Amino acid sequence: MRLRARLGALLLIGVLATGSALAWVAQDRFDHWQHRKLFPSCVGCHAGAAEAGAALWPQPANCADCHDAAIEDRVEWAPPAAPRASNLKFTHSGHAEEILRAKPDSALRCSSCHSEPGSDPMQVRVAVVRNCLDCHRIRAEHLEAPDSACVVCHVPLVQAVRLSRTDVSRFPAPPSHRAPDFWERAHGEQARVGSRGVAASCATCHARDFCMECHVNAPEVAAIQALQPDPRSLAHRTELRAPASHTDPTFLFGHGRPARKEAAECATCHTQESCLGCHEASPTVALAMHTAGPGRGPGARVERKRPQSHGIDFTDTHAEPASARPQSCGACHARTQCLDCHRPNAADPSPGYHPAGFLTTHPAAAYTRDQSCADCHNQSQFCADCHVSAGLGSTDGLRGSGYHDAKGEFLLNHGQAARQNLESCVSCHSERDCLSCHSAQGGRRFNPHGPGFDPETLRRKNPSMCTACHGATIPGD
Amino acid sequence: MNNLLRRGAWLSLALLGLGSGLAEAQGYRLRLDSRVQRVTYRGLTMDSIPVGEVVTGPTGGPRTPDNFAVRCPPGDSHCFFFRAGPELTGGPLVTTADLTLWGLGISGLSVRVNGRLGLDLDGDETWPGTQPEAQLVEAYAEYAHRQFTIRGGRQLLVHRLGITGFDGGRGIVRVGRSGVEVDGYVGLGLARATALTPTSPALDPLDEFQPQSRQILAGGALGYRGRLWEARVDYQREVDRDSRNFVSERTALSLNVRPTPRWSFAAGADYDLANTWFGNADAMLRYTAPWITVTGGVRQYRPHFDLWTIWGVFSPVPYHAAEGAVFVRPIGSLELRARGERYTYSDTETQTPLVDVDDDGWRLGFGASYSLGQNWRFDAGYREEYGPGASSHGFDAVVSWLPTTVLSITGYGSTLDRPLEFRFNEASVDVVGVDAEWSPTDQLRLAVGGARYRESRDRPDAAAFDWDQTRLHARVTLLLRSETDVFRLPPALRTRPRAGSR
Repeated sequence: MRLRARLGALLLIGVLATGSALAWVAQDRFDHWQHRKLFPSCVGCHAGAAEAGAALWPQPANCADCHDAAIEDRVEWAPPAAPRASNLKFTHSGHAEEILRAKPDSALRCSSCHSEPGSDPMQVRVAVVRNCLDCHRIRAEHLEAPDSACVVCHVPLVQAVRLSRTDVSRFPAPPSHRAPDFWERAHGEQARVGSRGVAASCATCHARDFCMECHVNAPEVAAIQALQPDPRSLAHRTELRAPASHTDPTFLFGHGRPARKEAAECATCHTQESCLGCHEASPTVALAMHTAGPGRGPGARVERKRPQSHGIDFTDTHAEPASARPQSCGACHARTQCLDCHRPNAADPSPGYHPAGFLTTHPAAAYTRDQSCADCHNQSQFCADCHVSAGLGSTDGLRGSGYHDAKGEFLLNHGQAARQNLESCVSCHSERDCLSCHSAQGGRRFNPHGPGFDPETLRRKNPSMCTACHGATIPGD
Repeated sequence: MNNLLRRGAWLSLALLGLGSGLAEAQGYRLRLDSRVQRVTYRGLTMDSIPVGEVVTGPTGGPRTPDNFAVRCPPGDSHCFFFRAGPELTGGPLVTTADLTLWGLGISGLSVRVNGRLGLDLDGDETWPGTQPEAQLVEAYAEYAHRQFTIRGGRQLLVHRLGITGFDGGRGIVRVGRSGVEVDGYVGLGLARATALTPTSPALDPLDEFQPQSRQILAGGALGYRGRLWEARVDYQREVDRDSRNFVSERTALSLNVRPTPRWSFAAGADYDLANTWFGNADAMLRYTAPWITVTGGVRQYRPHFDLWTIWGVFSPVPYHAAEGAVFVRPIGSLELRARGERYTYSDTETQTPLVDVDDDGWRLGFGASYSLGQNWRFDAGYREEYGPGASSHGFDAVVSWLPTTVLSITGYGSTLDRPLEFRFNEASVDVVGVDAEWSPTDQLRLAVGGARYRESRDRPDAAAFDWDQTRLHARVTLLLRSETDVFRLPPALRTRPRAGSR
């Protein structure tokens, strides 16, 4: 119950505070309608609106004639010390003089701008933008006005020196900026005017600094160079967005061709560094891009990632494409990266290919060769050397053949296992172990030749091999 | 002391060479990378016992009195068994210098050097790969023109037949703008998958047959690169310099087709002209859309052995596999994945009535990755494989946190069971680790990490042992460069998916 009462009190305090704030804000603006019978003429208080050099605002003492605490409550008000900060090129006196000079019989009144059409002149508003546009025969909505229309009322941002960065950040974004293709293509076309100019509509809100947030090629784009630098333009937040083409899953693989044909377009967002993030082994492809530096945007940050074609299993399946097209690998990979795996480093516990601890768990993978161990490991240097150190190497002939104790007569019936996993045998046994039984010149003279054995061709290619078992008398000679 | 002097001489020569090169070149990039790790491992030690001391175990088999299962070769006076080996500690420290020079006065001329200096801080060389101490991976000069490229020195060939190193010359001619490319090379070959020559003692830990001299490597390729497809045919032969016998002779075809932006097809095969059989071959169709990627394919795997070994005459048979994978991205930050493969070995044409060995197997895995904003990434998955020799199944999970753009902290954990088929060894491994990487500038990268392993190797005798260990590692990478190369160079994404897909 007490909690509910506290919540209620808090709610009441909140409502009262909000109401007071709203009332204070409302009091800050002069209620012309309330005073309409006292002031038949605008220039009675705002002389500066029609007369150059005169004050635009009334003196506080004029208010105090009535608001003296006796007739009316006292008010605390002072005229602004300076004109309100804006990017308008408009001045009341200048505007009035210009109109009278062009149209001496003009019926233009203060209410033409400061009242809604059809309303009482004393229902005063801050200048109604629609009235400005109508008077200047601009049919479009304010933020949709054609490029040439902006300069009618506005100065470029760099000339609106009294605007703070916060003021700039409050500029509304035109609807055109929300168009799907605005960031990728349309904004460039809209910004270009002539060969060295830039659209006034852009310059009204933006300066060169803003463009350089993205454009690596800022020094090469005439429209950007036509803008003056102004750090206040950074009040508009923007970031590089990848074009729609880049989201295509095949883009990574096929971007080389368009990059060569339209390098200048890529250079809009990409620096040499962003290309070399991947193309480290072939830096020439990046030469068409600009190097990051002063006056240019930082460029798109390219994360090095696997192309779709690689997939997560590519480490195991890259032999074919690497064999057929080694140059493609060279686009992104330096040879040293190949060597890290294909010439293993004895001091590396996990040279990048096998998972940690593979040494302990390798027998299952090695027996039936999920991958070819010999592509990266020298059989003698890597397998046999370690097996000898671990006591598995057959350095004492076949006397220790009791190692294969799970199969009681393994020595006599090892033929199938040997022909299926001969590389495993070789990792512990020397040729002499086998020749003790399989030589034609001694021992048990078991014939080791099996399916696929082509004695004629082998003898022709290397007769010395035959002599290891057959001596000088090679069958068929 | 001699070792120290030798290392100092190597380092001085390298620095002198680099210094004079840098002075001449207008552009250079030098990446110095030092990595060190402390790692322990524990294997087995063969032991023996006189036949007379062997006892009968609870299951009827022969054992030592302290319950080690033993094997007693017929006619031998001793029986043999394996005890747990001593804990071996390695401390490999490897510094890699990767240098590229250009702007040498002739447009298109560049020089590239990649070399390593390594040593084992533990001193007893228990860790493989640190011998010899200085290894030159690449060192060549290249002149690149729009129509051709020529290169001379120690270099690597990257093609379907593998990544092959050799000392020699290579020329590539591009036929106008047709996309046709002709490639040719000749030189003295290095051993496979290493920077060492095949005659290096470091490549003969088992005292196998080893060539007495380096082989002559020569080959060529014809390639076409188009907008929708590319293809390449390779031919390569290696010939022993003394006997003129072939060490290998192979040819390969690689094909990559992209009929539409979303569909691609990759295929290839290599053919061993000496053994007259196909080695590896595969074909894969891929569909990629923004929210899904689907792949499916078939492949054959058969190991390749040089002809100066006798392994090829043992007729290794290939396995044939059908595989498929799907990656779904229901929302941008989430990716779900699944992968499966089934394979079957060709008939080995052997009779092994006493030993039953599987001739087929399968692999599957599934997992998910999720990114929470720019700072967090989660990945977890399950994988399982079953096949001849060994099987495994287990979970992996990884959490990466990037509190700033220059710092990343990754925690990971996994649990795995991996029984072996040919040995009583039901091993289970649990791993927990943390890695941190800090790049205060784009020229400096520091990384440290550590992991705790808990491993249990269960057996029905005394040879079972538990083995827990802590592994530590650290890395410093420094990038030096001229002003013509001042761009930030992020690392490539080359990490295999931690879980699920494999």
